[in-house]
Amino acid sequence: MTMESTSRLQKILSSGEFAVTAECGPPRGVDPEIIRKKGELLKGCVDAVNVTDNQTAIVRMSSIAACAHLVDMGLEPVMQMVTRDRNRIALQSDIMGAYSLGIKNILCLTGDHQTFGSQPDALNVFDIDSMNLVRTVKTMREEGRDMSGFELKGSPKMFIGAAANPFADPFEYRIIRLAKKIDAGADFIQTQCVYNLDRFKQWMKMAVDEGLTEKVHILAGVTPMKSAGMARYMAKRVAGMDVPENLIQRMGGVAKEKAPEEGLKICLETIAELREMEGVHGIHLMAIEWEEVVGEIVAGAGLMPRP
Amino acid sequence: MRNGSKVKVTVFHCINVFSEGDSRLAAKGENVELKFVRLPCSSLVKDVFLLRAFEAGADAVVVLVCPEGACRYVEGNLRAKKRVQWVRSLLDEIGMDGNRLALFNLPPGDSSDAKPIIQKVLAQIGTTPQAELSDRPPAGQA
Amino acid sequence: MIVAEQKPMAEIKELVAPYKKVLILGCGTCVKTCFAGGEDEVAVMASALRLAFKVDGKEIHVEEQTVERQCEDEFIQESAPAIARNEAVLSLACGAGVQAMARRFKSTPLLPGVNTTFIGVLEKPGLFTEECSGCGDCKLAVFGGICPFTRCAKKLLNGPCGGSQNGKCEVSAETDCAWHLIIERLTALGQMDNLRTYIPPKNWRASLAAGPRRLFREDHVI
Ligand code: SF4
Ligand code: SF4
Repeated sequence: MTMESTSRLQKILSSGEFAVTAECGPPRGVDPEIIRKKGELLKGCVDAVNVTDNQTAIVRMSSIAACAHLVDMGLEPVMQMVTRDRNRIALQSDIMGAYSLGIKNILCLTGDHQTFGSQPDALNVFDIDSMNLVRTVKTMREEGRDMSGFELKGSPKMFIGAAANPFADPFEYRIIRLAKKIDAGADFIQTQCVYNLDRFKQWMKMAVDEGLTEKVHILAGVTPMKSAGMARYMAKRVAGMDVPENLIQRMGGVAKEKAPEEGLKICLETIAELREMEGVHGIHLMAIEWEEVVGEIVAGAGLMPRP
Repeated sequence: MRNGSKVKVTVFHCINVFSEGDSRLAAKGENVELKFVRLPCSSLVKDVFLLRAFEAGADAVVVLVCPEGACRYVEGNLRAKKRVQWVRSLLDEIGMDGNRLALFNLPPGDSSDAKPIIQKVLAQIGTTPQAELSDRPPAGQA
Repeated sequence: MIVAEQKPMAEIKELVAPYKKVLILGCGTCVKTCFAGGEDEVAVMASALRLAFKVDGKEIHVEEQTVERQCEDEFIQESAPAIARNEAVLSLACGAGVQAMARRFKSTPLLPGVNTTFIGVLEKPGLFTEECSGCGDCKLAVFGGICPFTRCAKKLLNGPCGGSQNGKCEVSAETDCAWHLIIERLTALGQMDNLRTYIPPKNWRASLAAGPRRLFREDHVI
């Protein structure tokens, strides 16, 4: 990890503080008020707000624009960028543009496949993969050059993130891939939502044993469940999600109106365990369309006030 | 109308089901003309033969094969079944009712055993000769 | 081989509707092997079209012919007399075959009767799978003989995405995850190092991205 970028998230993580970020999805429309409202809910309880890039391949306001609105509010965004929709020319151009708007964190992703989205007839791009996007940002940042080697007038000093899914197959390969992402230049890693703590622990142990946690900040993904239906849906339908049966049972074991409460309880228990795990440097809260609960979770987890 | 509006049925049959077809099978007085096509094994019933039978004027085509598991050439009747299914869907696609083509498993015997089957097919397709088909809305929309 | 699939009859009917005399022209190479446009399929198509038009109370005259390879001028020449007798050609060859015909027969309408889908193999009876996208810069050696440009839905070069589960691709439960296969194979080959190696972005210039490609063999020109 170099100290090249100027992000606050980076400062917090480098200082050894347990970081908290939260997710914010831009609207399917043009109204910046929606972003501001979500920003308002998250202000003061998270260190950075992670803005999705046409998540699940559904067309939304661009991640860059939504991030810029958050910057205007004094919040620090993490801009997600997927390689699904842009070729290397557009990716590099948008990285520079984003940095010029005050966006200092980037999360490099491949993106959900367009066939899952609202416009499955679209052509995908996948010119470069997320690994190469990480490397591209790193080269821009550290060498001040774009992919062609051209020397840029000023370089984007971005704090670079990448994703990892400890619950996908083949399990053994997941650590090799993590190591590759770190080599490529990832400063922080955001994981898939953690429900299966045993498997996550196993993965973290492998990361620690390989010395990877010395080189990268791992933020564990956490999503509070609202209902038993949601738990079942994620277990069955969402690719790369691992929701153990006992949690589904727990969600289903309480009265329907009590389910959100139970979900929050599970969430807090998970966070408590994650904080104890070696190598976990923070959490990333994905309370999708349930942003109002983030403050409660952060406070409940004893992570307030934020630095 | 052709043949005094007789309904024509072509029967493809494996010679292991029965060796000779009897065209008097259809009860006397019925307005039906039967035609038999002998096959050494039902797997030889190619899709194009089935279609050509319709082209030649058949109102219905029946394929008679040995019971599953009893094919002399192991899987000939299974192949025939798959092919019949495929041609049925093709017939549906082109607006000729796929039900005009059917396959039945029949234990070895003589052709009189096929009588109830032919009756059943006739009952299903009705007794409208193909020549009148073009005046009707395509099957499936009817 | 090139794998193709016959178009639905409704679409074919619409394509041939303006013509009274149509030559159905098959190809005896790839499309024959994948049951889309060989001699047998030409016969079925001819019969089906005649029946379809009869149902509609219309008439059509179809002629059948199958040449060895429709993508080679040498072989398509022999269809000239049949083409002269007909108003249009319904070609059951791949897109290259249809276009080779268009090159030679300048005033004959050419109708594609199949959808040309991919370069692939017969994986098992009845199942064809896509294996290569003709990228012009083959890197199979690095990936243990399994092509991620073609067989990974996201064209990933540095390992599987987070959706790979139980060996299947997140995009379709029926499709193997290419990366799962690559890892299995490289492990079996004892080439684990390839898995750790960083693979740089692909140079797409050799692919269709740089426009239609041509291959010139000087040594074959007199
Ligand atoms: S690397 Fe290119 S040429 Fe080789 S199999 Fe893949 S697409 Fe085909
Ligand atoms: S599941 Fe495998 S094949 Fe499918 S997109 Fe992901 S890595 Fe590629």
